Amino acid sequence: MTKNAVLIVEDEKHLADGLRFNLEAERFSVDIAVDAETAEDLLLKQRKPYDVVVVDVMLPGKNGFSLASTLRAAGQFVPILMLTARGEAQDVLRGFAAGADDYLPKPFELAVLIARLKALLRRREWLRTVQAGGKTRQPITAEGKDEPKLIEFDGKTIDFEALELRSGNHTVRLTVMEADLLRYLIRHDGRIVSRRSILEDVWGLREDTDTRAIDNFIVRLRKYIEDEPSQPRHLVTVRGVGYKFISNAKGQRGKSEELRAKS
Amino acid sequence: MALAIALNVGWIILNWREVALLVLGLIFFLAIIIGLVLNTTFLIREIRRNEQHDAFINAVTHELKTPIASIRLYLETLKTRDVDEQQRTKFYDNMLADSERLLFTVEQVLRAGRAGHRRRKIANSVIDVPEIVRECLELARTRYGLDENSLSYVEAPEASGAKVSGDIDELRAAFSNLLDNAVKYSDAQISVSVELAAIGEKRVAVRVADKGIGIPNAQLKRIFKRFYRVPGMFMARVKGTGLGLFIVRSVVEKHGGRVFAESRGLGQGSTFTIQLPRVS
Repeated sequence: MTKNAVLIVEDEKHLADGLRFNLEAERFSVDIAVDAETAEDLLLKQRKPYDVVVVDVMLPGKNGFSLASTLRAAGQFVPILMLTARGEAQDVLRGFAAGADDYLPKPFELAVLIARLKALLRRREWLRTVQAGGKTRQPITAEGKDEPKLIEFDGKTIDFEALELRSGNHTVRLTVMEADLLRYLIRHDGRIVSRRSILEDVWGLREDTDTRAIDNFIVRLRKYIEDEPSQPRHLVTVRGVGYKFISNAKGQRGKSEELRAKS
Repeated sequence: MALAIALNVGWIILNWREVALLVLGLIFFLAIIIGLVLNTTFLIREIRRNEQHDAFINAVTHELKTPIASIRLYLETLKTRDVDEQQRTKFYDNMLADSERLLFTVEQVLRAGRAGHRRRKIANSVIDVPEIVRECLELARTRYGLDENSLSYVEAPEASGAKVSGDIDELRAAFSNLLDNAVKYSDAQISVSVELAAIGEKRVAVRVADKGIGIPNAQLKRIFKRFYRVPGMFMARVKGTGLGLFIVRSVVEKHGGRVFAESRGLGQGSTFTIQLPRVS
């Protein structure tokens, strides 16, 4: 059985050594990068095939948020788990916006860290299987029913398993968080969803927070799904409340004709 | 010329109402401009203060939570896994070092809080300066694993036995902060020299010089402000709360002394000098 390779980007030596010991005990092969530059070198230049990356936010020089953004911008979509000293919702959302797939505030429980890493690896494994054309089990939603794998609207196709949005010949890679938000909005097609409910239902954040932090995600999703992001037709702002996803942007035809789900 | 003045004065006398309005308008306009400038200045200052405050909260949170995370990780590891004796000893050492770091941050924050109280009186005992400087040096050598070449000490004969009046813990913290900074902001090759000198008969000076990353000229005074950290990539590589030099300045000033920094600029190293009044 091949070992899963994990890269730990952490400048705190004691923490990095402790993580290495535990992850090696869990049959991971572990590399440590002490700063973002070293991590970029390993992931982008040397193209080392890591299965998952653990990134501390507060690194010397370039921070963890910038590292995640750089990796995503360079097309490196390895799952990223971010470790944050400040676990407030704004910081967590900033991490997600930068391209992280999961977060864990310090101090963390070892068992939780390992469980989350394994969950990210499972998700990556599903993705690989899908991309290789294999069959996967249908993911089950929080609502307890099967979620469609493919959604089509207005000439665009969202593949929630491959984490891709296809529009003509153009394909955009979605992060897990972007896909989750999009799925949530589509599930509430034609209905207003508040920023607070997005925070709670999509990211499980229940703290008092500046809910406008979600706006960054919305701006990005608009770039993906709107022909003119400054004049959104599908993902519209409901002032003072939140957002509304409208698959039938023209408002003429029935929803069932516009939004097609394939499982 | 005389004709022009006469014409102007004549016009003013004839049109004094318009002139009065014009003057009032000018005064009003100037008041608005000054108000705008003041408002912008205060706004910028407030934004900077908020940014520094945010950076401080980030840094302190990190400095508090990281050692706790590390200690917790090792405790969980020791509780749940089979660890051989050698590893176990290493884990204990790491936890001890992390608890030291935690304690240092807590003390630094509490000391900065005390330093903010200007009227707070300090303890008033007679302190042997060479003795506590040597003590702080030994501590720094042990903490950072440095030998006498990397962290050297010179004591001028005139300064030998110099005494000051004040709080020994506070002064120890001030000297240690300067030594910690000199090591932290040095390159891989650490070369820090400490000098104890007499300035006339009434003052004693402690100089801490390093060959590290240096300080831009414009920042030499600002670095003593609370929460202030020199911006830029060089500094971003070294973690800190922005409290160390603020504590040094507060402690030194409460002891009737002064502290200042000198540097030829980035990459040229820096020298910090504490001057304190001697007592007989």
